[in-house]
Amino acid sequence: MSAGDLSAGAATTRGGSSDAPAAAAPSPIAVVEGVEWIHECFPEGGGHLHVSVYLVRAPGGNILVDSGSFYHRERLAARIRGATAGEGIRSLILSHSDYPHSGNIPSLRGEWGDFEIVASCADPELQGLPYARRARIGETLEILGRPFTFLDPPLADRSHTTWVYDGGSRVLFVADGFGTIHPPGACERFWGALPEEGRAQGVAEFHRQTLRWLEYVDPDRLLDTLARMFERHPVAAVAPIHGPPIGADDLDAYLATLGDAVRAIAGRKRNHPRKDDDG
Amino acid sequence: MPPGRGNRVSANHREVLPGIHWIQECGRHRAAIADALVAGGAAWAGSGRALHVPQNAYLLAGRRTLLFDTLSPAAGDLVLDALDDILGGRPLDYLAVSHPDVPHAGNTGRILRRHPEARLVAPKAGETHALYHLDDALHVGPDDVIDLGDLTLRFPPATFLDAALHTWMSEETTRTLFPVDWLGFPHLEGECLRRTDEIDAEIGLDRLEAFHSRVMFWFQYVDVDVVRAATDDLAREFSGYRLAPAHGLVIRDDPGRYFDLMNEVVARVAETGRGGVL
Repeated sequence: MSAGDLSAGAATTRGGSSDAPAAAAPSPIAVVEGVEWIHECFPEGGGHLHVSVYLVRAPGGNILVDSGSFYHRERLAARIRGATAGEGIRSLILSHSDYPHSGNIPSLRGEWGDFEIVASCADPELQGLPYARRARIGETLEILGRPFTFLDPPLADRSHTTWVYDGGSRVLFVADGFGTIHPPGACERFWGALPEEGRAQGVAEFHRQTLRWLEYVDPDRLLDTLARMFERHPVAAVAPIHGPPIGADDLDAYLATLGDAVRAIAGRKRNHPRKDDDG
Repeated sequence: MPPGRGNRVSANHREVLPGIHWIQECGRHRAAIADALVAGGAAWAGSGRALHVPQNAYLLAGRRTLLFDTLSPAAGDLVLDALDDILGGRPLDYLAVSHPDVPHAGNTGRILRRHPEARLVAPKAGETHALYHLDDALHVGPDDVIDLGDLTLRFPPATFLDAALHTWMSEETTRTLFPVDWLGFPHLEGECLRRTDEIDAEIGLDRLEAFHSRVMFWFQYVDVDVVRAATDDLAREFSGYRLAPAHGLVIRDDPGRYFDLMNEVVARVAETGRGGVL
């Protein structure tokens, strides 16, 4: 089983997913031409947290970015089936092996065969991915006829995470950073279309809860690194796994909001050392 | 009957402190890290001996038993065999995962199937337990204690971490801190399952930097003074505690030295950037 067997084995009572009937699932949403957002949500912090995947239409077939959580397993599979007219996927690019990102690899491979899996970890066996093709940070790989560049992610939790820049569409796929906790009912909206009230708090709360190391950060050092990344890799959109897509027109606003969030999180540690270490 | 209290060593496990059994997965030679160390002047890393970055699990055995972490999926048989050997027919009362990262929790299912009597224990922090099938686990945090009889476990916050859903652990009878991903470092073939006081070399800044510049890649973005303050807080809180990391060797002697070294590591990584990917 890929990525270890925590989800299968620790299945104490839930034993699967919270899937609503697949028939009720919305269609994927186009981010740009050839890249579609298949969004799923999980309740967090009084709102919703996206646990999404993205479908890339490459010349050689369909590529999935991340596999999603077992929590949405049946529904996600049905949505991919519907979006691809049953053809399924021929390659999967993994941001990292954390279970909400890798948890459906076995079931997807069970349906569509041993398609290629591309992952950035240095030792795929330790991550439960002995069959993965390794992507090295900084390199560009052609996957099903499309170039993808694997970037060192400034906002991540696990060390083997990569951000993936699709040279065909100029979409940057990111995890875990760039998430936003959004209000129920706004699950299908892009970031720029979220209600302004609470939107900045959604960015701040997501990063405070998810990337706990931000409390130690020098905000300028981090934000300068992000700015340089976007200079080198201009985007048509940013496609977060844990938040709504951010169009190029909204990127400056998002980065300003993120900057405020990072400064606030870092400021808390300086003002209240050891107060919030237990989350 | 509790397992023996001697310093028994088998292929992949030993009782390293009274009641604390250390189970180690060393994996393959990490040539890229060895090359980087040699390039940085660490001649010891070019000795021709394999360089390992281990995964450690710890079985704590008092009148009750608890396994802390599970090793990676590549070591499923290893950890199950070690449990059979150490437990000798006793039940496994608790299986605790420090955080749901594959190299730490990847054998949770296999262990629970072999030991269905075990109560799953998971960090209290965070709201995403259901995404990891940890919603029905016993959730522990800084205010919680698990009494194993002869051993007493506490769950301090994970001060330095990757995943948010995360806990460290301490054992108060032996005064041992389990800092999970923090204080990891590579060792050479022949040093496996040895405490730092049992090997010929002194663990230096280069080994700690080789690990943390990869795993705690975010050290490159920190305000060094803020991290130092947190490290110094830890040094005071856990003064005199032995250190049992998930990716290094057990430290029995002079543990305070390692807190000082980690302050140097953070300064180095903040200056030079990440070392690579692990």
